[in-house]
Amino acid sequence: MVRGMPKQIYDVIVIGTGAGGGMVIKTLCEAGLKVCALNSGRRLDPAKDFRDHRMPWEVQYRGFLDPALRNKSVTGFAGESEYVRGAWESEITYTTAPGTKWMWPRCSAVGGKTNFWGRSSAIFGDIDFRAASLDGHDVDWPVTYDEMAPYYRRVEKMVGVASTIQNRPSNPDGVYLPPFNFRCFDRILQVGAEKVGVPYLPDRISQLTKEHEGHPACHYCGNCTSGCEVGAFFSTPFFLLPSAEATGNLELRTNAIAKNILVDDRGQATGVAYVDRNTKNELEVFGRIVVVAASCIESTRILLNSKSRHWPTGIANSSGQLGRNLCDHLYGIAASGYLPQLLGQPSFPDNVSDSSIAWMPRWQNLHHPHEEKFVRGYSVYPDGGCWEFPSYHDEIEGFGTSFKREIKRRYPTPVSMMTQIPTLPSARNYVDIDPVAKDSYGIPKPRIHFQWGQNELRMWSHAKKQCADVLRASGGVVDFVAEEPETPGYSQHEIGTCRMGNDAKKSVTNRFGQTHDVSNLYVADASVFVNVTDKPPAFSILTFSLRASEYLIEQFRTRTHSTSANSQS
Amino acid sequence: MAGQGVERREILRILAIAAGAATFPGFHKWAFACGHIGNGPTQIKPAAYHPVFFTAPEFALLDCLTEIILPTDDTPGAREAGVAEFIDLMVSRDSELQHNFRTGLNWLDSRSKQRYNRSFLTASPVQQTALLEPLAYKNKHRPAGQLGREFFETLREYTVMGYYTTEIGLKELDFPGLQFYTESPACPHKDDPEHRHLPPPKW
Repeated sequence: MVRGMPKQIYDVIVIGTGAGGGMVIKTLCEAGLKVCALNSGRRLDPAKDFRDHRMPWEVQYRGFLDPALRNKSVTGFAGESEYVRGAWESEITYTTAPGTKWMWPRCSAVGGKTNFWGRSSAIFGDIDFRAASLDGHDVDWPVTYDEMAPYYRRVEKMVGVASTIQNRPSNPDGVYLPPFNFRCFDRILQVGAEKVGVPYLPDRISQLTKEHEGHPACHYCGNCTSGCEVGAFFSTPFFLLPSAEATGNLELRTNAIAKNILVDDRGQATGVAYVDRNTKNELEVFGRIVVVAASCIESTRILLNSKSRHWPTGIANSSGQLGRNLCDHLYGIAASGYLPQLLGQPSFPDNVSDSSIAWMPRWQNLHHPHEEKFVRGYSVYPDGGCWEFPSYHDEIEGFGTSFKREIKRRYPTPVSMMTQIPTLPSARNYVDIDPVAKDSYGIPKPRIHFQWGQNELRMWSHAKKQCADVLRASGGVVDFVAEEPETPGYSQHEIGTCRMGNDAKKSVTNRFGQTHDVSNLYVADASVFVNVTDKPPAFSILTFSLRASEYLIEQFRTRTHSTSANSQS
Repeated sequence: MAGQGVERREILRILAIAAGAATFPGFHKWAFACGHIGNGPTQIKPAAYHPVFFTAPEFALLDCLTEIILPTDDTPGAREAGVAEFIDLMVSRDSELQHNFRTGLNWLDSRSKQRYNRSFLTASPVQQTALLEPLAYKNKHRPAGQLGREFFETLREYTVMGYYTTEIGLKELDFPGLQFYTESPACPHKDDPEHRHLPPPKW
């Protein structure tokens, strides 16, 4: 900083522009607050960077990625494909404790993972918020469904969700656009699922089956997770950031990698230190309030790395809970195979939404919390039909004309079922800072400690049996059941490391995401969630973030943020 | 997010591979073949392709094998789709693949010479089939050695990858995607939820 220059102080600094940050930015800017947003990567230009409408032969490695680069990539995750460029980080900026496997794809582009998300959008219900009271494990959320419901309704209106009213005890209904239609294999599996007593229903999907709030309807091209050129599903760059920018209250700094929170001599937040990705220079930006919404582990890394006289173990960590309670979804192919009914039938456009059309919402432990050998419950995503690539080829033996014909005959038939199993919080699962390793910007790396627990592995066994039963009851042939689930982190649904709660000794933030210790520091991403539930997190991140933003505005206006006393309620 | 593009991720997971280096000049023969789709079987000989990684004899053997795996029958096969060129590109970028393909091709050729006293390429179709069947069918035949089986598996996988990502391959499947629809396509068999009364299979 040049001596004598008055330093600019923004009302609010927001780190991150994904579901959490995007909602904060929009809400605050529209309320008239001056916001500086930091984003670790660049802005994408959908017309240039999204190549979702290309056929496989129009990209050099046909969508399989350059083999030479694949080895260096973190994950082999679909988003990091030839259909979208420069959005996903190639550097591995985390370490794992001995015995931990963890896959952590990070999207650094403006809008984060909302550019490429799965769009599945079931909301949390009281069975989730009050799970601890029901089954005796861990603690309840500091909020109820009734409290969250109005925010869920507002986000549904903003985003546009296609689904149906389903009256499921674990799945509160909302206000919906028309659902996606079921395809042949959906209807076959639905009959089979009914026989086994498993629900098979339209998913809640944040994808527009008709024009909504000025956003165009989906054109069903089917390459959604490569990014949508026209913005027919929710992402912050299409849905939230334009209205924030229109207010003139937003300054968005791209390629700004947040390093730590700056504090004053009372330990209150004064701004953020960040590294410019291109120059590697360290810079500072100042604000009256700081909101961290960099995604669960990234936010935790920033807070843990913010050590000072006041905060020797990381800012806002007087509870010692910062980094604890890491939860994830256990994903795995519980069953896959094919439906002989459809052998040799004409091809059909089954893959018009890159999955998410149907789901099998939680059906376990609904009437009594201890019906099963595990507590809580999981859901399953079925998928199948005519996809671009016949990945079932390795289930067919031989070569020659018979092999080629069998690939063609099987084309409409494959189905698979992917689990979404919540892990319970465990003392073994947490994030701390690696004492040695630093990333290429000199920032100490987070270190991940994680193991699947008994409860989730029991669900996994249960799911494999139930899904195979559904497939067989549908007249299908089961030809693959995964022995092992996917690597932890695969779902990209990590949550919990800045847990919210009413007790400042046992949680990092209050029920709005304001940290207990530092009244002008907020967390607005999935790290505040108390547990992971069987639902995907993005839609609830938007909802909690909307609520946090309005609370923040209220606090800002009454200036209670300037005292260190924590005001709740 | 993410959790859901199962098949697509399946594809990507297949490829756990190490680094190599080369630049690739393009899909020469394939680009040529592409221009003639829909005009019936083309008689024009494609211009010579210069492999990036493989030697000329290796490439000729590879090309022959891909065509045996996915032959021209009622529809065009791997050769017309330029599959060997795609494999040459992928292999040129990865040292482990290079080792596997080179070793495998040599192994197969030696086996042919050992058994029939002629190279695989000059062996009769019956002999070629007899060489490949033990590698392709696990149950019908006694184990033919791990190396041969693994090579054939990789070869077949890359042949499938190369074929079904061309216009020829997607036409073969009648791939219905990447088109624009005004509403989400719905199952047309309204009164037959279990799909027990469908018209007889087309194939």
